[in-house]
Amino acid sequence: MLFLSQLVGRPVRDRDGGAFGKVRDLIVALGEEYPPVTGVVLRVAGGRDIFVPWSDVEQIDATGARLHTSSIDITSFRQRTDEIRLWLNLLDKQIVDVEDRKIVRVNDIQLAPVDGRLRLVAVDVGLAGILRRLGLSGPGERLAKALGIEAENYIQWEDVDPVESSVSSLKLRVPHQALATLHPADVAHIVEQLAPRDRAGILAALDDERAADVFEELDADDQVDLLEALTPERAADILEEMGPDEAADLMADLSDERQEELLGLMQPAEASDVRQLLAYGEETAGGLMTTDYITVRLEETAQEVIDQLRELHPDADHVYYLYVADADGTLVGTITLRGLIVAPPETPVRDFMRPEPISVQLDLDAEQVGAAIARYNLLALPVVDEEGRMRGIVTVDDALERALGEGWRKRLPEVFEPVDER
Amino acid sequence: MPRALRGARRSIRQRLPNFRIHRTGVMAFLGVLGPGLIAGLAGTDAGGIATYSVLGAETGFSLLWIMPITTVMLLIVLEMAARMGAVSGQGLGDLIRDDFGVRWTFFAMVVLLIANGAISIANFAGIAAALEIFQIPRFASVPLVAAGIWALVVFASYRVVERVFLSVAVVLGAYVVGAFVAGPDWGEVGRAMISPTLTFEPSVLLLMVAAIGTTVTPYMFFYLQSSVADKGLGPEELGFERADAVLGAVWTNSLAVFIVVLTAVTLHGSGIVIETAADAAHALAPVAGEFSELLFAAGLFGASVLAATVIPLTTSYTICESFGWESGVSRKFSEAPVFMGLYTALIVIGAAVVLIPGLPLIGVILVSQYLNGILLPIILVFMLRLVNNPRIMGTHTNATWLNVVAWGLTGLVTLLSVVLLGSSLADWLGWF
Repeated sequence: MLFLSQLVGRPVRDRDGGAFGKVRDLIVALGEEYPPVTGVVLRVAGGRDIFVPWSDVEQIDATGARLHTSSIDITSFRQRTDEIRLWLNLLDKQIVDVEDRKIVRVNDIQLAPVDGRLRLVAVDVGLAGILRRLGLSGPGERLAKALGIEAENYIQWEDVDPVESSVSSLKLRVPHQALATLHPADVAHIVEQLAPRDRAGILAALDDERAADVFEELDADDQVDLLEALTPERAADILEEMGPDEAADLMADLSDERQEELLGLMQPAEASDVRQLLAYGEETAGGLMTTDYITVRLEETAQEVIDQLRELHPDADHVYYLYVADADGTLVGTITLRGLIVAPPETPVRDFMRPEPISVQLDLDAEQVGAAIARYNLLALPVVDEEGRMRGIVTVDDALERALGEGWRKRLPEVFEPVDER
Repeated sequence: MPRALRGARRSIRQRLPNFRIHRTGVMAFLGVLGPGLIAGLAGTDAGGIATYSVLGAETGFSLLWIMPITTVMLLIVLEMAARMGAVSGQGLGDLIRDDFGVRWTFFAMVVLLIANGAISIANFAGIAAALEIFQIPRFASVPLVAAGIWALVVFASYRVVERVFLSVAVVLGAYVVGAFVAGPDWGEVGRAMISPTLTFEPSVLLLMVAAIGTTVTPYMFFYLQSSVADKGLGPEELGFERADAVLGAVWTNSLAVFIVVLTAVTLHGSGIVIETAADAAHALAPVAGEFSELLFAAGLFGASVLAATVIPLTTSYTICESFGWESGVSRKFSEAPVFMGLYTALIVIGAAVVLIPGLPLIGVILVSQYLNGILLPIILVFMLRLVNNPRIMGTHTNATWLNVVAWGLTGLVTLLSVVLLGSSLADWLGWF
């Protein structure tokens, strides 16, 4: 096994054994699964760096390098776009380790002969790499072993892919497409750990719906930061895909001009939902509620409702309760998912709905909304205006979040650790 | 499954005070409180209060001339830190690792750990000293407060701690009022600020290095750069960041001048040597009368707790991020062993040293600031190398005149430290 740190600084000799200079860097050509080394950068007397193509290198190992030739063409090195210098461009840089959901650093770079070429095979992100570069491999690794610390940790190069970023140092452990397969909470977790200007780069890899899911997982402060980093058009597209209540909460933290700009770019229907929600006080039922809910009419049959649901393909949050409204939009009953399924297909809604549903007024204090949800043991509570027309629902998780305060997200994982395990 | 059940590792930038610039109403006004100002405020901690008090009490106005110099230094350094944060979008620890590699990072982090460990000790000394005014023995107060700080950050939120103690630190404004009430000859103060006097007396040199060390503290610029990077402020907002950095530097150093002036007027020449916090509190007698001890204790306690909370966190985050180790206070010990270990150790060591029987608290604080002054040039060299690297800073590298001033001041501090070490050594060997 050969590491970059063992090569750099080693002497380079020509064919006759005369000292030529020292290894300063290696160049690899990206694109292949394991990128081949295409050249060596040498530091020669006088502090100048020169480039030697790989074809001139006879042998290279931890003791140094030997060249085929005794004279080389001293052309200054020009980096091609598909090439990187390992020491300069990759070593010590950050990598997002998606599998373990954290950011690590490239402590060393592992090279090995594959198919007859020396190739970049893995990056060393473990303690072993740090110790090797500090010259403490022996005693350090014995100490780590004694303490039961796993010193070795490598990420195969085939799992590393550059991510678009203003900071050229950042690489991503999985290909972009793989990001889309992660749980939104995990993507959010990665986003939170990045410097703000790198966050937008991650989001560029996701479609609007996926990006909206990630947004909903972020803390309020991070949401605003991230939104500001996007173009207004992209921001509006993502806001449309978010729940109207989440979108309104986010937009409440923006300046008035920014709100107007984004609302203007959104689809009129979504924009008006958000606009309505923005008008309600934050600490009221109106401020807590979402306008994402499903209403059915009194005369529809159970089968018709089920067919509709199939068509609408609603989120899990919205399927447990359906609300029954009369012609004026007045809330007259609720049906549960269970009630719907056990009812004979031809029964009209009015016959199996629960009449006189519990509801709250738009301006009810948020705390009392939470109390009502707790008292009646509900997953969601409908919100009506003064005329009894349905305006939205408050879901139990939104009410809980308000009741427990902002800090609860931070503390809960401690309690529910097993849930958080991947 | 509730979607909020997820890991809560947060970056240093999100954990530490990060006042968003709100754009409407009252928040627009409060938004002026930028990271530079907070860095400055946090700089007036136990070390600052004790060092400036001793400086005034022992040397009167005669060392006031270093204040304009330290102000310029702090201003330059904070501006560079803010600019680096804005242009690179990365913290200082990140940049050091990116650019200098493992060995230099290791060296820089050891320096930072020693410097910040010393400040951590100083702040627990400050906590002990403040509470001793109320006859609370340090054996009771220090372990209790240490455990409290540890638990508050791990189980609650850092921001709660910060808000409370930042507001308590406002009582330090009493020094400004006090200085005017005491009514020194302001003309004399003005003259003292611009007339340098040089001496090779070790005790005076030590005070000078300590004053520089407490004013221009490495953790302040690590913190500031991270905050600026985290806010996502870009080069286009450099004007705001500069103003904020200048405000922070001028604010904290004006306060320092008032502390020196007030203690010089009230304590210098009175024969009082500051050995305990109660001695230092006498300086506030003209403004607070019999409440001077209460006022002083409150200010010292607030400032010390704030710094004692910030420093172990900043240090652990910086070190872990530059080595790529898992960090975050909500992680379990087994998930982030280095981070939790460092964070806990900095608090435990800080508290434990203060508990050594018979240890003079004010002396400990002074020595820690002195140590920071000696280590400061090392971090400054890293900073100056980075800020002049066009690969990182593009067109925003230092102007030539700024480099001349910055390198000059770095050289000056280095020289001062060397002379001090030399003269202490000579003194100790009995050469003079």
